Amino acid sequence: MSAPFSESMAGARRTVFVGASIFLTASGFALMVNSYTGQKMFGWDYVVLTLFPLLFSQIALGFILALFGFFDWLRGGDPFHLMRQSWRERENSIPLAATAIVVPVFNEEVARVSQAIANMWRSLEKTGEIDHFDFYVCSDSNNADHWIEEECAWMSLCQKLNAFGKIFYRKRRHAINGKSGNVADFCRRWGKRYRYMIVLDADSVMSGTTLVRLVRAMEANPSVGILQTQPLMVLGNSLFRRVLQFSSHVYGGIFSRGCSMAQMSSGSYWGHNAIIRVAPFIEHCDLPILPVPNPGKRHVLSHDTVEAALMRRAGYEVWIAYDEPGSYEEGPPNLSDMLKRDRRWCAGNLQHFWFLFARHIEMGSRLQIWIGLMAYLCSPLWLAFLIAGSFGAYDRIRFLTLSADPEDLGAATSSHAMALFIITLVLLFTPRLLGLLTVLPQARQYGGFFRLLISVILENVLSILLAPVLMIFHTLFVLQTVLGLQIKWTTQNRADTGLTFTHCLVLYGWLSILGVLAQGLAFFYLDKACLWLLPIFIGWILAPLLAWVTSWSPLGMMLKSRGLFVTPEESQTPQELMGLEENDLPSSTSSPLWIQALLCPYVQAVHLSMVRQRSSSSDDAPSSSLADLRERLIREGPQALNPREKLRLLWDAETVFWLHQQLWTLPARKLHPSWLRGQADCAQNPLLLNYLIPQERGSA
Amino acid sequence: MASINPPPAPFENQAAWNEAYERLVHFLNTFALGDSAQVSRLALHLLDQARQLHRNDTSRNPTVLIMEQAQKLVSSWLATNLVEADRSPSEILARGYVALLLSRMFLVAPASFLASPLPEDLRQSLRQTLLITGPNLNISSMTPRHFDYGPMLGLARQTWHRFDLKSTLLALLFWAGVYGVLYACFSNFL
Repeated sequence: MSAPFSESMAGARRTVFVGASIFLTASGFALMVNSYTGQKMFGWDYVVLTLFPLLFSQIALGFILALFGFFDWLRGGDPFHLMRQSWRERENSIPLAATAIVVPVFNEEVARVSQAIANMWRSLEKTGEIDHFDFYVCSDSNNADHWIEEECAWMSLCQKLNAFGKIFYRKRRHAINGKSGNVADFCRRWGKRYRYMIVLDADSVMSGTTLVRLVRAMEANPSVGILQTQPLMVLGNSLFRRVLQFSSHVYGGIFSRGCSMAQMSSGSYWGHNAIIRVAPFIEHCDLPILPVPNPGKRHVLSHDTVEAALMRRAGYEVWIAYDEPGSYEEGPPNLSDMLKRDRRWCAGNLQHFWFLFARHIEMGSRLQIWIGLMAYLCSPLWLAFLIAGSFGAYDRIRFLTLSADPEDLGAATSSHAMALFIITLVLLFTPRLLGLLTVLPQARQYGGFFRLLISVILENVLSILLAPVLMIFHTLFVLQTVLGLQIKWTTQNRADTGLTFTHCLVLYGWLSILGVLAQGLAFFYLDKACLWLLPIFIGWILAPLLAWVTSWSPLGMMLKSRGLFVTPEESQTPQELMGLEENDLPSSTSSPLWIQALLCPYVQAVHLSMVRQRSSSSDDAPSSSLADLRERLIREGPQALNPREKLRLLWDAETVFWLHQQLWTLPARKLHPSWLRGQADCAQNPLLLNYLIPQERGSA
Repeated sequence: MASINPPPAPFENQAAWNEAYERLVHFLNTFALGDSAQVSRLALHLLDQARQLHRNDTSRNPTVLIMEQAQKLVSSWLATNLVEADRSPSEILARGYVALLLSRMFLVAPASFLASPLPEDLRQSLRQTLLITGPNLNISSMTPRHFDYGPMLGLARQTWHRFDLKSTLLALLFWAGVYGVLYACFSNFL
């Protein structure tokens, strides 16, 4: 089953991987150059020839990764992989060590996060190893409603699971450096208490068995610094999310297998659903400051890749446990949400350029950084390639029209161009075909062979249509990052409730206009050659419609009921995913949630227990600005304060207490009418009914 | 406690007392007592007390009076039963409400809410509640290590740190103008 791993083997595999990619790229480039043989070269052709190897190398890289992954699947897994080493034979006898499960949250859907923690807790209880695990909900939420709801959800969780002293909630007053700052804050405060931490995202869920196995893998392999699982996308309702989760199931596995096989101990870290050895993380992985002139841009945004590189630099291994089941996440519900996420990732990945040539970084880490960089840089390069190619074609057509010898177009070399075109298609679609082959044995779990096939075809059509839209937006994101420009972004839906058509028109309508104009120009100047560009223009023209339609949950659910885009977790839902859908907090009042910290005694008590209590007595006069805020809140109601002012009030324990007294004591004429409504609704407030006194109250 | 209230004195403002009563009931309801009759009993008791006080000082607003009485009663009841009088009022209330919440006393024995003396078993259950909000800190130092960005840093320092968009654009504009003029002058000769 297993064979000892060695660093030299990892080096040899990387050499084969890079070598094969270079070979393919060089072959493609040779064909490209040959296709120009005997033709007059125009200025644009040189641009095309310059960009081609860069772009083709990315296609080749993906193809080789998929081949690696397929080979790994064919032989039933890598015998040299960490998760197949001899420690597995004595796995159950390996004692566990103290492990923290860290869940950083930022204005997330609280009930959903809470339910996921409850599911993981129960799953861990079943393993009998719950004593070794503590949960930390580390909040950076800057929305007062979310903050108060998170506190009540924590209280509810602890009560429900009898987990006081095992599940902790921490709210940072100053949310410095985003998620990485939040995790670093945990490490600084409590890191010494634990040998490992399992970092999750707010939408992550992991099974107890997997959590326990990760700890045992780390215990058995002291040289491992990070062990990343392959989270599967689940719980999609909208068509967009369902298509994403379907493709991640069908194609994701083969790529992560390939990545793991090529990278071995220099694997990726994706920032969540991974276990980390805390001591070396604290010692070596605090993120360095970027050497840029603008102090506001010195923080590393996409921390995970850099942390993996730093862990490798410190001499620890980073592995991907690609075939461990029981690791889940959720995808973005619609195109707009995905683009919003991509904008953040793009800015982060481009920052990684600084680490590409840094000293003492492992070759494997440099490769990861390069792949991440090119994931976004490719878009502007593709766009430039298409523009240059179109202008080149126009020059050629004009030259042909004016030329005395029309044969100059170079018909003899068109066979090279056709060969290149076919090779490109093969490289693009083979990974998808191989992915399909790997899931064929479980076709029944994907709705059966024919439904699986139809789903794959539809997914490919949708991908082809969305690719040009992503290309344009990624290009904008790259430009925005490089030039420091701002792109106006309209408000978007966060849940699976769908996008409005107006939103789609505002955000994507200009792409339709661009598509129509570009198609018109291409047809006018390029004649039949414009047909090559048609898939791109169609994607642009249909962008608003695509974004709108794919955000529909009913459409996604209808296709699901017909057995399309079905994934194994839907055929047989794992225990850890039960109850995670439909977790919206039903609102029985119209009042904002945060005012319950001022009105409801129980909500207030939970809040006051969480924020640091001032030692001084309530007789102490508050600062004049705080006193102004208090007065304004009473006179003008909760809506009079901006988000920052709400947080400021809530951080001050004495103010919260004072306001509670005043809001209940002052006569109606001195209170804003919304407070009277708040008092009347207080006993029915959703925090009380859903978290603090659920169910039992109704029965009482 | 549940004595029958005397009829309202003619000088009392009925609307003000109605408002005060309504406020008090809303306040008591927030404690989610499992027995609505207990809420009524407490409300009448407090109303009675407030009216007595109002007779001594008619200038006071009934709502203010009744709510002060209610809050004082809750606060002193919690302080008595938790024996934590040395704490600040806000701490006593926070600790007390959490104890109530965790002990579920308002559901299992609603009649004992604000009752004095509190039966010993309920008193103990209130005192035994403990809210652990976070483990003790165990501070570690996590600081970035020296990081050598290699040749890119030197290159960047020589270029981007000195890069000025405005002057670069001006220079580009200037040279575009120069070439434009040259082209206009000599295009006929090309």
